[in-house]
Amino acid sequence: MILANYLTAATLFCLGAFAVLTRRDLIKIIMGLSVMEASTYVLLVSMAYRRGATAPVLAARPTGVTEKDLAHGNVADPVLQNFCLTAIVIGVAVTAVFLTVAVRAAQHYRSVDSNDVRGLRG
Amino acid sequence: MTLSALLPLPVVLPLFGSLLSPLAARIHRRLPLAIAALALLGSAGFLTAMTRTVYAGHGHFLVHYLSAERPVRGKALGIAFAADPLGLGYALLVAVLGLLLIISLLSEFGDIGKRELGGLASLTQLLLAALMAGGLTADSVNIFVWFEVAALASYGLTGFFLERPIALEAAFKNLVLTSMAGFAVFIGAAMLYSSHGALNFGQLHDALPRSGTQATLVALALLIAGFATKAGVMPFHGWLPDAHSPVPGPISALFSGLMVNFGILAIARIVLLVYQPANRGHALGLLTGIGIVSALLGAVLALAQDDLKRLLAWDTVSQMGLLTVGFASDEQHAVVGAVYHLLNHALFKALLFLCAGAVVHATGATKLSEMGGLLRRRPITTVAFTVGALSISGVPGFNGYVSVGLIHEGLLDREPVIYALALLAQVITVAALARATWLGFYRRREQPYERVDRTKLGMRVAFGTLILGCIAFGVLPNPVVADVADPAASVLLHPPAYARAVLSDSGTVAKLPVMFDYGKLSDLLVALAEIALGVILAVVYLRVREPRPVTWLRRLHTGSVNDYAGYALTGLALVGIVLIG
Repeated sequence: MILANYLTAATLFCLGAFAVLTRRDLIKIIMGLSVMEASTYVLLVSMAYRRGATAPVLAARPTGVTEKDLAHGNVADPVLQNFCLTAIVIGVAVTAVFLTVAVRAAQHYRSVDSNDVRGLRG
Repeated sequence: MTLSALLPLPVVLPLFGSLLSPLAARIHRRLPLAIAALALLGSAGFLTAMTRTVYAGHGHFLVHYLSAERPVRGKALGIAFAADPLGLGYALLVAVLGLLLIISLLSEFGDIGKRELGGLASLTQLLLAALMAGGLTADSVNIFVWFEVAALASYGLTGFFLERPIALEAAFKNLVLTSMAGFAVFIGAAMLYSSHGALNFGQLHDALPRSGTQATLVALALLIAGFATKAGVMPFHGWLPDAHSPVPGPISALFSGLMVNFGILAIARIVLLVYQPANRGHALGLLTGIGIVSALLGAVLALAQDDLKRLLAWDTVSQMGLLTVGFASDEQHAVVGAVYHLLNHALFKALLFLCAGAVVHATGATKLSEMGGLLRRRPITTVAFTVGALSISGVPGFNGYVSVGLIHEGLLDREPVIYALALLAQVITVAALARATWLGFYRRREQPYERVDRTKLGMRVAFGTLILGCIAFGVLPNPVVADVADPAASVLLHPPAYARAVLSDSGTVAKLPVMFDYGKLSDLLVALAEIALGVILAVVYLRVREPRPVTWLRRLHTGSVNDYAGYALTGLALVGIVLIG
């Protein structure tokens, strides 16, 4: 629960959305989506954090933390961090497909302007 | 070894197949699709074995926790696969229809390159596996993962046939919109977890507060917007008509008949099963609203299309709208009707897309204005398309009549205005299909086509099976309603029972008193009036110039990916405002 992080996540999301809505360059649209995606990671990692929490590595007890603290869950939530990892892996795959499509589109249309790539309409 | 332990297998088989297929392509050209067919046959076999337990009596639950991480004192950490009559029915539909579509792919596209065939078989199996898993899972983040797997496979399939540059364009739009939908689903599921500590649908149902807080409603808005994009409901639909146009017929059939349904199913599960009336705000009213708008505008845009596959895709938007309205009514007749319509839509839309794909493949013509005269040149395809069109139009004796009738019956008592609009949407749908059937198939055509290939054997098998399905589900509705649609709808209408069953590994489904009465004169008259009005509308529409509002509506679909993303984000904001405000 860190307010600054939430605001960062929201700002990043809006910046990415702004790029997707206003940039016609296909590559910039992809970058915008990547920024939006990054905002979800910031949000999740922030949601995983609790006041005074340590990293969720429970191999050895960190100094100054009793076993009772650990039992009461005074570590950052590993589940959300785990989702973050899953999403990063998926995100990399999607970005790869994205860029492949953009490259092929550039080869076919000789342009990366989304206004030139709109044969399907109506 | 119990039966429920076999639950992951129907998903695992096609996943393995999708790995093997590209390798097998090196040995023989036909091997990848043969592997796919075998894998799907295996999935269908396992799922069929489970139907005996799940559909016994009024319906049972079959729950499996992966790696046997079962819930402890009502807290589930493991991922649950829960075969209820709804999810199992959908998974079985995916397996059986997927098998048919793979057979038709094999017969129509068996002569393309080895590497292409390997990739095609691999992506198709990946998509089918993800859809089956998405239907079976009872876990909010697991459903996100399958959503993304299905999305990745669908990107690949949309952009697969690079000989048409529009395939790339469609793939790009699909990528942008579905990626954003993925973010929404992801944040929604994570928010629910972080504020209520639950991922399992059953546990979430118990953990959600009795009155809707801001956080739960924001999460609901994100989940609805995300899955509505997959379902192609307005205003999240920008990718759908484009993605259906450039791909081969069987792949369009796969998208329209099976993939978009996943979105609707997920929305129904989350809104009806995870949330409950006290904490979902105006979610049902909202879904009814966007559903009926999709049903109407989708039908209008279908009526205005010249490209045959695009027309069918717009009709999918319309039908998904109707399904949303049916599920959102929360009324037993309408929900049973919606479940039945989901099944029927898969059958007749797959049939229509296979026909459209076969025509495009055989003649090279994609536009209705270039077609015509196919009754004489491709009689089997013409008969198949006609059966599909009659089913959609709700002609008595075909399956659409029963399911649309049930949805309308449910709406009539609760929401007369929505009922009237649904009737109007149905009239326009009839007109759109009548116009397409006339222009594409029955209209006389003097000049010969450059080439007309024969209908291949695999296609005949697929056509025959689907026609049989359309007619059987129309002539004998009550066994299907009583044994399949009724228990499936009952799962959605009894959320506490679902939550208990998922967390305790077993449970039974209550019976709903819903039957379809074929002899009801008023239904019959309404259906016949709809068809008559629809045919009149089609005849009128063929003779007049495109009306101004339709032109405006078409201009709104500019084809620019920025605009479509804008519509989707506006839709997300709108959903959020309605739910929280």
